[in-house]
Amino acid sequence: MIEVLTYTFMQRALVAGVLIGVVCAVIGVYVVLRGMSFIGAGIAHASFGGVALGFLLGINPVISAITFCLAVAWGIAWISRSGRIKEDTAVGIFFASTMALGILVIGLMEGYNVDLFSYLFGSILAITREDVWLTVGLSALVLTLVGLFFKELLFITFDPETAQVLGLPVNFLHFLLVTLIALTVVIALKVVGIILVSALIVTPAAAAWQLTDRFGRMMILAALFGIVSTVGGLLLSYALNTASGATIVLLSTTLFFLALFLSPKRRLAWK
Amino acid sequence: MGTTHRVVSTAPARETGAEPIIELRDVTVAFEDQIVLEDVSFTVYPGMFVAIIGPNGAGKTTLIRTILGLVKPVKGEVRVFGKPAWTLKEERKRLGYVPQILSVDLHFPITAGEVVLMGRYARVGLIRRPSSEDVRIAREAMARVGVEGLWDKPFGKLSGGQRQRVLIARALANTPELLVLDEPTTGVDVAATQTVYSLLREFHAEGMTILVVSHDVGVVANFVDTVACVNRRLVAHGRPHEVLGSEELAQMYGCDVAYFHHGRVPHIVVEPVEREEVASD
Repeated sequence: MIEVLTYTFMQRALVAGVLIGVVCAVIGVYVVLRGMSFIGAGIAHASFGGVALGFLLGINPVISAITFCLAVAWGIAWISRSGRIKEDTAVGIFFASTMALGILVIGLMEGYNVDLFSYLFGSILAITREDVWLTVGLSALVLTLVGLFFKELLFITFDPETAQVLGLPVNFLHFLLVTLIALTVVIALKVVGIILVSALIVTPAAAAWQLTDRFGRMMILAALFGIVSTVGGLLLSYALNTASGATIVLLSTTLFFLALFLSPKRRLAWK
Repeated sequence: MGTTHRVVSTAPARETGAEPIIELRDVTVAFEDQIVLEDVSFTVYPGMFVAIIGPNGAGKTTLIRTILGLVKPVKGEVRVFGKPAWTLKEERKRLGYVPQILSVDLHFPITAGEVVLMGRYARVGLIRRPSSEDVRIAREAMARVGVEGLWDKPFGKLSGGQRQRVLIARALANTPELLVLDEPTTGVDVAATQTVYSLLREFHAEGMTILVVSHDVGVVANFVDTVACVNRRLVAHGRPHEVLGSEELAQMYGCDVAYFHHGRVPHIVVEPVEREEVASD
């Protein structure tokens, strides 16, 4: 088992895995606390259309996925801000239509595409050297933005109305947050897969929430759960020869149920 | 029906001469086709302590949100600190706001101190970190409302009264000239309600302008200097004993005035008059 760590592909996967675990968990804290899980899932599925288009046009699918996810994230935010359509409705529309577009595009391509399959379900082997650098760069960008706007993101997550009354730029901050979600989805895409990426955003944060009532601790715990899930999941998937994304997500789900049973809040609720 | 009653109202006269801090002129607010507030005119001068009362669904919260520039009226003019409410920028640093407790998630992992410190965020500025001075001001605000020992306590674990005082401390941390509170005593007991209003009276005595939405009509009357009764329209506006005395008004507009004591009524500023138009209902 140890010698697997000397393989270049596994080293790449682990570096990417640690970063993905942290970034997904950190963004997941906001997603979970603001009740935005569905937006996360919607943006993740939108990346399918982007990836498929990338293959069709012969451009790097990650680049086309970023473009697509950002467009959909901003589209959802803009439509729901305009007030005529509820946010979950906007997500529902984009969710299905971008998937449909992806399916249509696949139909236009000749034959069956193995790479596309790895995007859907995640694969350790699919991670190239360029992907690692892209993951490092995007992770640094997301974490830096979270660090810079930490207090503002906390305020709009806890009490957006008062934040607006006091003059914080809540629209900008909301757009920033959906942008961060979109970037996070793209970062995690190759390892976890399009279908499962939103679970890796939501589950570690939800697990952390069971164990603490401090914001900072929730974020640190979520990041730890995220790392354990991705690193553990990658090693397990190699050992068991299973799909990496599914293994990672099931491991994080296991952690979530452990946290749920050990939760002091749950014990309190049972009294 | 055929006739509706309009209230001839005057604000207390002692503030005349000062620039209004809040001024609404013929304000109508509608969501889609539904009119929530209609032709509301309403002035608050610096140093006033005003309660907005009215039945559920009367548009009290909408009135507050309009004043705070969160809702844009379809008609009329709303000026706060002399500027249209929805163009307020720097002026927002002169505002304190206590939202309805129901709008806040009690499971949110956050300490009381972190909540109060949020009151400083607008003044700290984007990206920058709160300084030790900001922390000092936040702690002072908590001491002011008697919850200084709760800094590290999870917000969701506090009692209803403590939570309200923490939210008031957060509003104070912004050192406001105008304090706006939306139902600050929802879900708190009688003693805590008295505490909240006693605090507001202290702030008022120090010159703060206070606007509070409430359904605790009986309690409010003992503390504020002006009551505005809202039920889609501004039904009555005047000193508590004046507004509260008019029982027919209560029946007519559904304002919950039954709780009000019949004060002496030296001069009634609230009087029914014939309206020119026929009421739409």
